[in-house]
Amino acid sequence: MKVLIVEDEKTLAYEMEAFLKKNFYVCDLAHSLKSGLEKAELNQYDFILIDLSLPDGDGLEVLKSARKSNPDAAYIIITARTNLKDRVSGLDLGADDYLAKPFYLLELKSRMLAIARRKFNIAEKLIPVGQFQVDIQKRQVLFEGSEIEFSRKEFDLLSYLLIHRGRVLTRVQLSEHIWGTFVNDDYDSNYIDAHIKNIRKKLNARASSEWLETVRGVGYRIKK
Amino acid sequence: MKLSTKLTLFITGSKMAIVLLFILALPFLVREIASDYTNRTLRQQQKKVLKIVEKNGLDHYLQGDENYGSYTLLKEEFIAFLPVDTDLKIDAIKDSRRLIEGDTLNYRVLSYTFKSKNKNYLLEIGKTTASIDQYNKPLQRFALYVLITLIVMTILIDLTFIRVLIKPLSAIIKTKLVNSAFPFESQQQRIKTSTTDFKYLDESLILLMKQINEAFYKEREFTSNASHELMTPISILQNKMENFLADENIDEASAIAVVEMMKTVDRLKKITSSLLLISRIENQQYASKEPVQLLPLFEDLIEEIKHRLEEKSIHISLDIAPDVILPDVNKDLIFQLFFNLIHNAIKFNRQDGRISIAGHKLKNGNYMITISDTGIGIPKEDLPFVFDRFRKTNLHSQVGYGLGLAIVKSIAAYLKIDITADSVINEGTTFTLIFRRNTAKL
Repeated sequence: MKVLIVEDEKTLAYEMEAFLKKNFYVCDLAHSLKSGLEKAELNQYDFILIDLSLPDGDGLEVLKSARKSNPDAAYIIITARTNLKDRVSGLDLGADDYLAKPFYLLELKSRMLAIARRKFNIAEKLIPVGQFQVDIQKRQVLFEGSEIEFSRKEFDLLSYLLIHRGRVLTRVQLSEHIWGTFVNDDYDSNYIDAHIKNIRKKLNARASSEWLETVRGVGYRIKK
Repeated sequence: MKLSTKLTLFITGSKMAIVLLFILALPFLVREIASDYTNRTLRQQQKKVLKIVEKNGLDHYLQGDENYGSYTLLKEEFIAFLPVDTDLKIDAIKDSRRLIEGDTLNYRVLSYTFKSKNKNYLLEIGKTTASIDQYNKPLQRFALYVLITLIVMTILIDLTFIRVLIKPLSAIIKTKLVNSAFPFESQQQRIKTSTTDFKYLDESLILLMKQINEAFYKEREFTSNASHELMTPISILQNKMENFLADENIDEASAIAVVEMMKTVDRLKKITSSLLLISRIENQQYASKEPVQLLPLFEDLIEEIKHRLEEKSIHISLDIAPDVILPDVNKDLIFQLFFNLIHNAIKFNRQDGRISIAGHKLKNGNYMITISDTGIGIPKEDLPFVFDRFRKTNLHSQVGYGLGLAIVKSIAAYLKIDITADSVINEGTTFTLIFRRNTAKL
């Protein structure tokens, strides 16, 4: 998939590019409104990630004009300007999602996947993990065809680890995904661990869950 | 007490006192005036009598008698001549009692000695003082009525004038001091008045409000801009660490170090976003308002936070009537407010503790919610500062950034909720929220 990143903060744009490349996306960068408009005019993209505060204008301009040349692209607004007005006008102009800075790249990836599923009709079949299957869309965890009862938070946690299979996710990343932007100050709490313990208990009652591993001092990972 | 009331009371009081004094002094005044007038009349009569005597001669009156006396039919006046010692010299007016035909009467008597045909005579002209005093009572009564009427009239005039005079002051109080929502409106109307003092007061207040507003906006702008500007470098740091951690060749020690850094960056991010949230609330960026049913909101919240309750085996009780609706709030903000309070109630609670959330309608129509815990409590001396930004009131190891309650306070102020905290050390803390009558449908 091809991605255009319109972001004037070069360091940030490079980090996003490096991350997306690792995830097999092809990236183009634009560091100003002008070059963003040009690139969107000339190329076809699957995803256009737009920062709103560009040195030579408002990123919403890119959104407005690129929708003509790239009508099928998915647009994600990435900005520190998270006031309601910007959010509403961005979504009104047809943005598919809105990510507030600072965001985790993993969060960006899972949002992109969600949009891809919705927008490009990429119907994922059941994802096998160990002796279980996970249906992301139906939010179900199955063992030999029967569903295992998971709470909302437990499923969110498991599916997030599954989307980023093979990568270690830290407690901070996991809690941000689960809690969203709630301001809470016990980032070092062990409630993620408590959730994982519950998930393991439910899985182990049926089969081994050794594919869900703890990386000491770092976080959790689902083996590839 | 209002200034106009004070002025009215003073004016009325002082007038009444003066009138009372006047009424009490009236007999004395009347007596003084009357006696002065009587003295003058007696002197005039003395002159007349002496002229007549000079003209007609004294014998004309004495008619062979030693002395002469005559009084009016009702004995109100008398006139008398009587011979006295040659050496006697009298020229005086004084009160004296006289017996006339069996009646003892009080007279004001002029006594004057004069010579006539080498003989010394005493002239006495008398007027009864009863006739002088008889006017006192009716005069007092009449004066009282007249003066009371005058007082009432002048009080009415004064009141009207005071009201007109003080109107600008009331307008200043009404428009600038009472129920003046902060930040003040930028376009403050000047009060129309010709009283320079009020003009000066009004101008000073407008200037003061403007200065306060400017300082306030500057602080807001700074908070907003600073936290906004911080977001990009935080983003960069966060993403760099993420990519670094994703590197397959990273060794365990480095990974752990990166995670520690990530935690610090996350902490920085949370402080910054708390500040941004506060400045957004204060900048009224949460304008969207909707009716929110309280009970489901609390149920969602408890569901959201359930695992933390389980972690400490805390029992939570919820006593909110299902039909309570807050008609005009921002759902995200109200959720955030209760979330922070309940989050704290868990955080500072003890193992196997309790949290109780209860709502009651008060007699005055307001709605009260209390959130109580059985936690470590807040020291009495710290209570006034629990809502202050960055004020570390709790030196407990679990202390946060001191922004959770600052956010609660900002949201409460924005949604016009009165919030107070009470606490007993080692017994627990209770937060009380009062939703004013018009902000809760019960």
